[in-house]
Amino acid sequence: MKAVDQIPRRALLWLILCQFVVVLPHLGRVPVWVLAVYGLAALWRLQIHRQRWPIPGRWLRLMLGLCGGGAILASYRTLIGLEPMVALLLVANGLKLLETLRDKDGYVLVSLAFFICVTEFLFSQELPIVLSSVVCTVLLVTCMITLNQRPGADFSKQEPVLALKMLGLAIPLMVVIFILFPRIGPLWSVPSKNGQGTTGMSDFLRPGEVSKLGRSAAVAFRVQFEQSIPPKPALYWRGMVLSAFDDGAWRTLSWRDHPADERQFQRPVTYGDPLRYRVIMEPTMQRWLYALPFAESPSAGIIEAWDNRLTVLTPVESQLGYEVNSWLDAAGQTELSPWRRSLELAFPSDLNPRARAWITQQARAVDSPQALVQRVLRHFREQPFYYTLEPPPISEDDFVDVFLFESRRGFCEHYAYAFVALMRMAGIPARIIGGYQGGEINPVNNTVVVRQFDAHAWAEVWFENEGWVRIDPTGAVSPARVEFGLEAALAGEEGFLADSPLSAYRFKGINVVNWLRLRYDAMAFEWQSFIVGFNSDKQLDLLKDWFGEIRVSWFVAVLLGSGALVLIPLTLWINYTRRVSNRLPVEQDFAALCLQLEKYGVVREHGESPYGLLERANSQIPNDHLLAEIQISVRKMYELESGGN
Amino acid sequence: MAEVDYSGKHSLRTRLRARYRAWLKRRLPPARTIVLEQKRLFIFPSRPGFLFIGTLLIMLLTAINYQNNLAYGLTFWLAMLFVVAIHFTHGNLMQLTLTAVGAESVYPGQRAEFRIRLSCSSKRSGHYSIRLTWPDSEALVDVPAGEAIEVSLFQTVGGRGWFEPPRLTVESGYPLGLLRCWSFAELAVKALVWPKPIPAPAPTHVRGGDDAVGFSDASGVEDLAGFRDYRVGDSLRHVDWRGLARGQQTLQTRQYSAPAREDHWLDWDAFPDAPVELRLSWLCWLALQYDARGDQYGLRLPDEEIPLATGDRHRERVLRALALYGVESAPV
Repeated sequence: MKAVDQIPRRALLWLILCQFVVVLPHLGRVPVWVLAVYGLAALWRLQIHRQRWPIPGRWLRLMLGLCGGGAILASYRTLIGLEPMVALLLVANGLKLLETLRDKDGYVLVSLAFFICVTEFLFSQELPIVLSSVVCTVLLVTCMITLNQRPGADFSKQEPVLALKMLGLAIPLMVVIFILFPRIGPLWSVPSKNGQGTTGMSDFLRPGEVSKLGRSAAVAFRVQFEQSIPPKPALYWRGMVLSAFDDGAWRTLSWRDHPADERQFQRPVTYGDPLRYRVIMEPTMQRWLYALPFAESPSAGIIEAWDNRLTVLTPVESQLGYEVNSWLDAAGQTELSPWRRSLELAFPSDLNPRARAWITQQARAVDSPQALVQRVLRHFREQPFYYTLEPPPISEDDFVDVFLFESRRGFCEHYAYAFVALMRMAGIPARIIGGYQGGEINPVNNTVVVRQFDAHAWAEVWFENEGWVRIDPTGAVSPARVEFGLEAALAGEEGFLADSPLSAYRFKGINVVNWLRLRYDAMAFEWQSFIVGFNSDKQLDLLKDWFGEIRVSWFVAVLLGSGALVLIPLTLWINYTRRVSNRLPVEQDFAALCLQLEKYGVVREHGESPYGLLERANSQIPNDHLLAEIQISVRKMYELESGGN
Repeated sequence: MAEVDYSGKHSLRTRLRARYRAWLKRRLPPARTIVLEQKRLFIFPSRPGFLFIGTLLIMLLTAINYQNNLAYGLTFWLAMLFVVAIHFTHGNLMQLTLTAVGAESVYPGQRAEFRIRLSCSSKRSGHYSIRLTWPDSEALVDVPAGEAIEVSLFQTVGGRGWFEPPRLTVESGYPLGLLRCWSFAELAVKALVWPKPIPAPAPTHVRGGDDAVGFSDASGVEDLAGFRDYRVGDSLRHVDWRGLARGQQTLQTRQYSAPAREDHWLDWDAFPDAPVELRLSWLCWLALQYDARGDQYGLRLPDEEIPLATGDRHRERVLRALALYGVESAPV
């Protein structure tokens, strides 16, 4: 190997820095030992450079690679799916450093790093990720510049500056192509994410599930309203409908559970204008969406399911934006088919004998289902029931009995469970609804930010002529939960945000922090709705807006025009900095000094030698500084002449 | 440059190559000073450049398949960076000035040193990572803004006469290395190649008269007579380098006793039967012998006569006459 081909020290250091910056945003997702691989590879490579350690041989490298792959397999139990593949790519990138000895290997590393940046976008498109990718890109371009430098050049800030300059010049053209490039559908199916990243709620309810969410301040979704935001107690974001009860857990019904004639969605009668809003949901790996009742979505690809909720066909793997129209006061499903009626009443008759006896007794005392509901809610309110995120665990099959008569401590899902069970025992169709309640209103851009700790469960009860009516038994126990949110309901309890020690939400009591946080949230929302929502529909709308109609000739003209707008000035600038000069710099300096001499009346005669001019100037010019400069310049002129032959 | 045609027939390939060279010579005519202007520069993606383009395609496919706008954004940004890099790489070589400063004279088969000055007439930005390539040597240099640097390149020379170096390839991938911008510089510079010195036999024919000694028995012992101060023109072989190394203040020249100093004529006609090149080689060897001893010698060629003299300058003159005997082209 020629010495010239070896990666210069400076380029190597930049490359190692890039390696770490590239892996940084992935750290939350990959096993921790990946970072150790990077550290060791960097150390080893530096020692190779200092000629302390040997270059690993082919077999050792093969072994290392196989070990890395094996470790990934052991960590993820599979190599199929996006996460293990990205982890594998990261490990390969880390180990590749060991065999990066020549310039061209450096380019392989840079290319890999760019690709790793792209894989990061598949998991998150939020502002911090954008920022880290921009930093990464600048560093990688700097790497490419240093790879091209003469070995032995010194460290300087010139390279990052040049990288910034070039990337800056590329931005206007990038924007044009970004907007004009046709957004076509996927060409083939690609590995999708595994369930590992599942956040939010699951599609079944067993007491004890929701409490985990109370510990997280992660954003579940953001909503931007066109008109004014409804009051907080009206913000019940329905996600899933838990109608079936088996084995002590409530679960949603799948499409297959329905007989053919029950699959159709019955649209309720609606009056007036809907509430229009746009939701941007974080990935959940689930198929249901969240919306206020009763919801319809004008966005493509969204299905209204039989129980009035919105779903999509494939799990939500990346941020998803959708429009919703809601009629908050629409009455749903006033007709209940016998099949559905029996479904919504099903509850094992052999369980919870005390509760069954109690509700039967209560039902005898009232004359309507509505009155029974009020009676049960009053019971919750007046008896010593407590709202807490850390209730004593109840594992018996007779959950309702234990909860109602013994523990009396629990949170939304316990109350919803007990309430729906009681209703069903009393012969009133009822179901549990899982979703989120409330959210934080950001006045900066009229949005509601719903976080994981806003997760909630409540009930829907079916009345003759009225249809399904929302009943929130938790509200009876802890009105503050609905009115002010979980934080107020749990005043003084430890469990809240226990898993998010550094969340900015914790510091919202500090005014400046809160102000900044709301501003940042608003900005993040704008970014999300632009970057997530820019699909072919938006693109066509935008282009129609600008050009009236879409013609290929227009596209070509805009593309070429904007190209010319950037590249022609760039070329002119380069030509300007390189403008032709027949004289060498030394001669240019001398000519400039001659002009200064003319001010003192010493004019160079035709054919006069520089030395002759200096002699004359010596006797006529009082300015010592100028004379010294001329002396230096004259000497350089003579050096030039003698060196040139 | 001489056309090499081993087969004797003009195959299509050699004809095309000749065509290409002729075109190149027309487009890039030889000159002592060459300014790399726009029309002289060629540019094409390099191997890392193709790797980069391949990566961009994979990134684009990922963006399409995952419908990911940020991936689209990064891909387009880097693609446009490539376009911007075309201009920067081209601009890096533009207006670089190459001047042939000079060449060393050598014997056949040796490597001659050619000195080339690279200068940057712009005060704003220099020319970086410039690679100069000849078949036998290459150099990688930076030319800072407004400065000039000198580079020595070596090239193995052919036979006696003028040696013209091949086309010089000037290339650079700076700043990103994704593109290779290059030009060919046919610098009008020649190296003088002396005849190969070959020990000569005794002359077979001595021209009549007493003025010609031909090859005499003057090869006997050299008697050191003493030292005197060095004067310009003294043979460097007689400089007392050892004395200088010992710490002597001034340069001294060794003086040899008079009997060793004889007058010689190197005569073309001294070897009537030998072929031309061999004769020149013998004369060259003789000249070096006499010069080493500090003898006076002169040269008689059919068309030129150099009178008796001694010293480095004289030797250069004699060797040059021998080197250029029968060579038509004029010196540069």
